[in-house]
Amino acid sequence: MRRTRSTWPALIAASVLTLTACGGSEDAGTEDSGGEAAAEYPTETINLIVPYAAGGPTDLAARTIGSCIEEELGQTVVVENREGASGSVGMQAMIAGGNDGYSLSLIAVPASATNPLQDDVGYTNEDYVPIAAVTQIPSALIVGADSRFADAEAFFSYAEENPGELNVGVPGSTTSQAMELRRLAEEYGVEVTAVPFTGNAEMTTAILGGNVDAIFINSSQDVLENIDAGSFVPLAVSPPEPVDYIEAPTLAESGFEELTNSVSVFGLAAPTGVPDNVVSTLEETVDTCLQKDEVREQLGEQYVPDEFIGSDEFSTRIDEIVEAYGPILQE
Amino acid sequence: MGILEGIGTGFSVALDPTNLLYVFLGVLIGTVIGVLPGLGPTATIALLLPLTYEIEPVTAVILLAGIYYGSMYGGTITSVLLQLPGEAASVVTTFDGYQMAKQGRAGPALGIAAIGSWIGGTVSVIGLTLLAPPLADLAVEFGAPEYVALTALGILLVTYLGTRHPVKSLCMAALGLLLATMGQDLITGTTRFTFGQISLFDGLDFVAVAMGLFGVGEILYNVEQTEKAQAVKSKIKNIWPTKADFRASGWPIARGSVMGFFIGVLPGGGGVISSLASYATEKRVAKDPTRFGKGAIEGVAGPETANNASSTSAFIPLLTLGIPANVVLALIFGALLVQGITPGPQLISQEPEIFWGVIASMYIGNLMLLALNIPLVGFFVQLLRVRAGILAAFALLVTMAGVFSVNNDPFDMWVVLIFGIVGWLMKKTGFEPGPLVLAFVLGSILETNFRRAMLTSGGEFSIFFTRPMSGTLFALMALVIIISTVAGIRRRRQRSRPATPGEEDLAATGTTAEPEGTPGAENTDGTATDEASAQSDSGVGRDRS
Repeated sequence: MRRTRSTWPALIAASVLTLTACGGSEDAGTEDSGGEAAAEYPTETINLIVPYAAGGPTDLAARTIGSCIEEELGQTVVVENREGASGSVGMQAMIAGGNDGYSLSLIAVPASATNPLQDDVGYTNEDYVPIAAVTQIPSALIVGADSRFADAEAFFSYAEENPGELNVGVPGSTTSQAMELRRLAEEYGVEVTAVPFTGNAEMTTAILGGNVDAIFINSSQDVLENIDAGSFVPLAVSPPEPVDYIEAPTLAESGFEELTNSVSVFGLAAPTGVPDNVVSTLEETVDTCLQKDEVREQLGEQYVPDEFIGSDEFSTRIDEIVEAYGPILQE
Repeated sequence: MGILEGIGTGFSVALDPTNLLYVFLGVLIGTVIGVLPGLGPTATIALLLPLTYEIEPVTAVILLAGIYYGSMYGGTITSVLLQLPGEAASVVTTFDGYQMAKQGRAGPALGIAAIGSWIGGTVSVIGLTLLAPPLADLAVEFGAPEYVALTALGILLVTYLGTRHPVKSLCMAALGLLLATMGQDLITGTTRFTFGQISLFDGLDFVAVAMGLFGVGEILYNVEQTEKAQAVKSKIKNIWPTKADFRASGWPIARGSVMGFFIGVLPGGGGVISSLASYATEKRVAKDPTRFGKGAIEGVAGPETANNASSTSAFIPLLTLGIPANVVLALIFGALLVQGITPGPQLISQEPEIFWGVIASMYIGNLMLLALNIPLVGFFVQLLRVRAGILAAFALLVTMAGVFSVNNDPFDMWVVLIFGIVGWLMKKTGFEPGPLVLAFVLGSILETNFRRAMLTSGGEFSIFFTRPMSGTLFALMALVIIISTVAGIRRRRQRSRPATPGEEDLAATGTTAEPEGTPGAENTDGTATDEASAQSDSGVGRDRS
């Protein structure tokens, strides 16, 4: 990716000029411009919709990247929380906002991609274009400090011999964690009982109280703190490659090569038909932002992807998820 | 974090100028709505809920808690002066408080109520400070079966104990449980009763339902009543009680504090039940029970202390288990959820500033109330001149704007309006919204935990009885049902025979008490009060026979 930071002041100046010179041009994009280049971008306020509650991890990602984009592009970014229906309400609002590049949304993959596979939620995976990943949070299989399972091998071999006996908390019934556990049973014959919870707080209580045998959880900041404190013991992590901040093998290394999709990726998306230059402008801006120390610190250094994930790669990621989970969800 | 350290953190949060302002605002609003008949703490908190989303979570809870215990103070004023309980928990105060006012002793009645409330509130906060952390540690062990037992017990107690018509309450609780099933099923992910509407995927919004039933329902009901400005005839002088008053009130306040604290922890126990229980106890232990109902200061001191103590201890189940004990706490639960905070055993360790900040604010708030109430009683009484119609129009505006702001979804405004009309009809027909709303909140906790328990046990029902905690709770529930059924049968048989002293009072509480947070407007027409005093009088009569 080209480093373009130095060109921004010029671009800002240019966009301010266009704004004054041809005030009517911002309306042009509301028609289906289908990938054509818009004159200049951005020339007006950008709406960034967060389909989840204020104060959550998606909200943090959106507000951090939103304020950086604002700084870089010189246009106000209004972050708006439109929660509901596992994010579908916000996605609908983003799509309804028009594909001129001024209506963006933070998407949380896999949920954003799997929702339309399961129900009629008012949008499909063809209705939006992923632009750039901001953070990615792996999942971790975790047991309590006094668990009888010392490592992944002990856990999985017990599960294999005693199908359905181990209870594993997951963040919800249609989350990637729950689906990976289903694939674990269907493709590898290792059966555990997935017990759905809502949110990390409930799952943390459940594992600390010994009411489930393990949890398969988004390893967000609170989970890392519990690992550091010694109250959580990670057995395995979900990404294809090991992560340096959680000391545990990957599921793939533990003998389940295909189980690499349970990684939450938070990123920017726009409605389909958004002009190509808008996509590339935003891609470059996000890339620039993700290299700033203060942005990385706010997002959590460990969650910022080592290699920038742009529009094409993000799309590929979503296609993989649709392929892996689609058949399970449409059953 | 130790308790001392925690309290230190708490005060540093609560003494922050913003939070200090909100404690003050909370107790002031609470007192004002306590004075105004027709706007109880439930309606007010329901109406103001959306406005709290913009402020910090801890500040929001500090404000809402202040309104709650503040209203307990305010309700006393009109009970004593006008025999009009400003909110349900002060019904009992009308028995002796109004009599005292008629004898020209309104001042000491209000004075002792304020002092008793302060002591009760403070004792209860100390109890909360000491007991909540160990309870939260214990609660971490609670699994799905325990939550099933606790929520089922809560629904049972709310519908059985705190209501006039158990059958009507049960119907409402059942309706609440049914409404709770709408939306996406957590366990399988399928959608239920959504009628293809994305707005219904997450079920009905609790805030909208509560605002409709309590807020709009209340407003409609009030507007329907004939408007008349209230005039206070009795002069208020000598607020500070005499030495003799203090001597007479010492034990009632002490007993009221302890009793209020423990009753408040029970589901549905906050407010009205605690004050009735305290009144019954004072009457039983009094040397001359016939003085009650004729201006006995013990009959004001005890109940007023108890209702304030219970409104504080009602926070314990919410802050340690994540289970709201009554409707007001359910609203505060909703406020925290919207802020992205799930109250539960983890709250103390994960959000210490919220937990301790709210507790510390209660110490401060109770002190502020004492300072506000003694000199400002005369001012608060003037509030009764505000016409209900103006208040109603303003409240409705705030409601509609508020509910829209929660999700920016016009759909929620329809939910509020529809439930507002339902709530109004319910009030007219004597169905109480309290059990419905509480069952609605507890219903989803009950259902998901029941199904989680079934998942982990592999479908064995024995999981509910073999675990010590849930087993005990289910046994307790069976006991409650048996005792109340037996008592009911006995009462019917012995209608003409004399009852043991005190028992009749409790029986009367069973019939007159309203669940916590039942809007005070129930009493504006005077029927509830008359009914209550009539039954209490008959209780007195039987005691003597």
